[in-house]
Amino acid sequence: MPAYIGDAGDSPAPVDPSRSAPGSGLRRAMAPARAAGRAGAVAALALLWLLVCGPGDSGCHLLTVADLFDRVIRHSGRIHSLSTTLYTELEKHFPPRDNELGKPARKCHTSGMLTPNGKEYAQKIPREELTHLILKLLQAWKEPLSHFNQHIEHHQELPDDSLSKAKQISNMVHELKTGVEKVTKKMQSMGIISNSLNGMASSEGTGLSISNEANMMSDSDFIHCFRRDSNKVQSYLKILKCRIMPENSC
Amino acid sequence: MGTPWIALRTQLLFNGHGLVVSDGSCSRTSQKTLQMTDLLQWPQISICRSPEMETFSCYWTDGNFYNLTAPRTIQLLYMKSIDEDWKECPDYITSGENSCYFNVSYTSIWVPYCVRLASKNQVFDQKCFSVDEIVLPDPPVHINWTLLNTSQTGIHADIQVRWDPPPTADVQKGWITLEYELQYKEVNETKWKELTPRVSTMVPLYSLKMGRDYEIRLRSRQQTSEKFGEFSEIVYVSFSQLGSECVRSEEIGFPWFLVVTFGACGLAVTVILIVLSKQPRLKMLIFPPVPVPKIKGIDPDLLKKGKLDEVNSILASHGDYKTKLYNDDLWVEFIELDIEDPDEKNRVSDTDRLLSEDHLKSHSCLGAKDDDSGRASCCEPDIPETDFSASDTCDAISDSDQFKKVTEKEEDLLCLDRKDEEESLASFANTDTQHRHMNTQSENIQLWPPFAESTDSLRPSVHPQISNQNSLTNTDFYAQVSDITPAGRVVLSPGQKSKVGRPQREGCTEQNFTIDNTYFCEADVKKCIAVTSHEEDEPHVQEQSCNEDAYFTTESLTTTGVNLGASTAETPISEMPVPDYTSIHIVHSPQGLVLNATALPVPDKEFNMSSGYVSTDQLNKIMP
Repeated sequence: MPAYIGDAGDSPAPVDPSRSAPGSGLRRAMAPARAAGRAGAVAALALLWLLVCGPGDSGCHLLTVADLFDRVIRHSGRIHSLSTTLYTELEKHFPPRDNELGKPARKCHTSGMLTPNGKEYAQKIPREELTHLILKLLQAWKEPLSHFNQHIEHHQELPDDSLSKAKQISNMVHELKTGVEKVTKKMQSMGIISNSLNGMASSEGTGLSISNEANMMSDSDFIHCFRRDSNKVQSYLKILKCRIMPENSC
Repeated sequence: MGTPWIALRTQLLFNGHGLVVSDGSCSRTSQKTLQMTDLLQWPQISICRSPEMETFSCYWTDGNFYNLTAPRTIQLLYMKSIDEDWKECPDYITSGENSCYFNVSYTSIWVPYCVRLASKNQVFDQKCFSVDEIVLPDPPVHINWTLLNTSQTGIHADIQVRWDPPPTADVQKGWITLEYELQYKEVNETKWKELTPRVSTMVPLYSLKMGRDYEIRLRSRQQTSEKFGEFSEIVYVSFSQLGSECVRSEEIGFPWFLVVTFGACGLAVTVILIVLSKQPRLKMLIFPPVPVPKIKGIDPDLLKKGKLDEVNSILASHGDYKTKLYNDDLWVEFIELDIEDPDEKNRVSDTDRLLSEDHLKSHSCLGAKDDDSGRASCCEPDIPETDFSASDTCDAISDSDQFKKVTEKEEDLLCLDRKDEEESLASFANTDTQHRHMNTQSENIQLWPPFAESTDSLRPSVHPQISNQNSLTNTDFYAQVSDITPAGRVVLSPGQKSKVGRPQREGCTEQNFTIDNTYFCEADVKKCIAVTSHEEDEPHVQEQSCNEDAYFTTESLTTTGVNLGASTAETPISEMPVPDYTSIHIVHSPQGLVLNATALPVPDKEFNMSSGYVSTDQLNKIMP
């Protein structure tokens, strides 16, 4: 349950102290400090506060972390929308999966990854791990998407619209990964998250094996899996952003 | 236990209207009797939905079939992809009857589930999904509206509708992003109007009629999905509580006042137009006349009824206008025109001008004989002024330069014609024609001296000496126009001896002068004359090359005249005295002249001259 009910009409991003006036932002920064276990967040916020630029400042070129998060979240939302559209288009051309009496199928190559499957779990795991998971997911899809693009071009029955969407998706995923990396670096530079490179190394190792599995899937399953993972990435990013802003009590 | 159920199931046929027992007899009576219930359905999972992507519930419907046999033992089994076996629903109560509620701990997002509706070993239905696909948010709550503004007429109004997101959805943390769709309609309408889905929780509605009541409802969906959740409760919008004093409940049926206004305007415009047309002054004031084309300085009225002189002066001021018709100095310019235009066709017109319009002209120069080219022979300008004894009206020719110019042109004209002659002569290869031409030439030579002398005599400074000098022995059948009186009478000079020109012996006989050739180089004529005269034992004429006479100078002419005069004096006049002049009896222009011969026999018949020249044949007929 949220600690307080703010203006629900705003964008899902919680109120950003960087957007408000300096004085009120400081006050808001002081309020969560009273809560226990928020000392680290306060420190992070203080650090953030030092680097903040108001949105109305003309000479300010620094982008706040919140702005960066907004951008990547919007980008991931677009990816998810595109993949949903592509999935519905592909379902028309490929026979729908039978609702078989049996075990649920649709194994995705990313199914083996341990990812939080709920909001609570996403709130509980450390931010570094969450960030790392996001990057891992994006990395896991990089190769299979390019293979998919090459593969889907041979499908004559598909409309050109679908083919262009597939290409667009792979480009956007690459951009999103770059964006998330930048946000990660920013957060690490600001001390919000610690520098841990161990996770990154392991993700690259598993990426290769995952890619091999991805090539075995059918096109419909492929897009279905990707759609699900794009929703995962978007939700994780949202939770991560919420967790960075402590006043939202994520 | 499940076996008989399965066996029974295979034997049953559903046709939607009743259960038919397939015992082999599908009679209608058996159908009717067994139609206990219209719909017999298996238990089905109707829907599984998650309102906030944290929990989900599955709902099913009971089948009618169940009531017939064993008590209900329907179970909902579920299995995740990672599970090995089917598990039973943890909560049958929370979501209501025939539902299964999966709370947060049982819910795993992005994990494939399969839900099965079964009873004992009987599987009725199964569905497989993942929770992120079945998100259908609850409708928004706390819907209210406020009046923004009303139109000036009080007919329409704008309202702002506000609401809150469903409380179950965690929008704040951003776990879920919702879109809202508002629908509204008038109370008595059937079709709802939809607005585009939006993320904001407020939306304005414009141009609602104040006299009507409206209904509003909302629903929401996850931003990335396409399915909407349930509709909210209907909210009524009524403007009556705001006061209906200024509300026009009914719209104006027909804008009568507009009709009246426009009719009045049209009538007024018509009246104004009528008034304007009646009063030209007012009309002129409002609609000024468009200026017509006009020549500067010329009054068209003057042209209509003005005098010719005035008009002439006006028109002359415009430059190129030739005022020859109204000018006293016309004949000089007349010559200029003629010289500039050496067309053969103008011969006749020239002659006409000379003969018929002489009365208009007031020059005292000798007119050309009509059998000759009047143009070239008219008023040779080389004659010096001192010889103005015969007349004093050739004042126009006082400018020697003008004369020179005229003479030049004249000479060019004549010489040009000679060139033409030569060319034409060259074309005649026939000796007969040549011979003929020779004959004619000899005859023509007779003509040309008078022509020559007439050209001389036609020069402005005409002097009777020259006129008297020109004569030939048998050229007494012509009359030379010596003077044109102001009244318009042509005064002919008496027959004269041939003028002694400037002969050149050579080249004269060679030239074939055709009778039709009206123009010839005067020098050539003189040559011929000189040669002829020489042949006829006439006094030797002073030789002068034709080339020297490219243009006549007054001195040369004078000399010539003197010489001629002298020669004339020396020459024994062998010919008969011919009358000095013959008055023109009848002028038939352009046919010719009828001369009254005083000493000569009157020509019985008037000889028609073509192009103003008397042919030798005609002359021979006339003359004895």
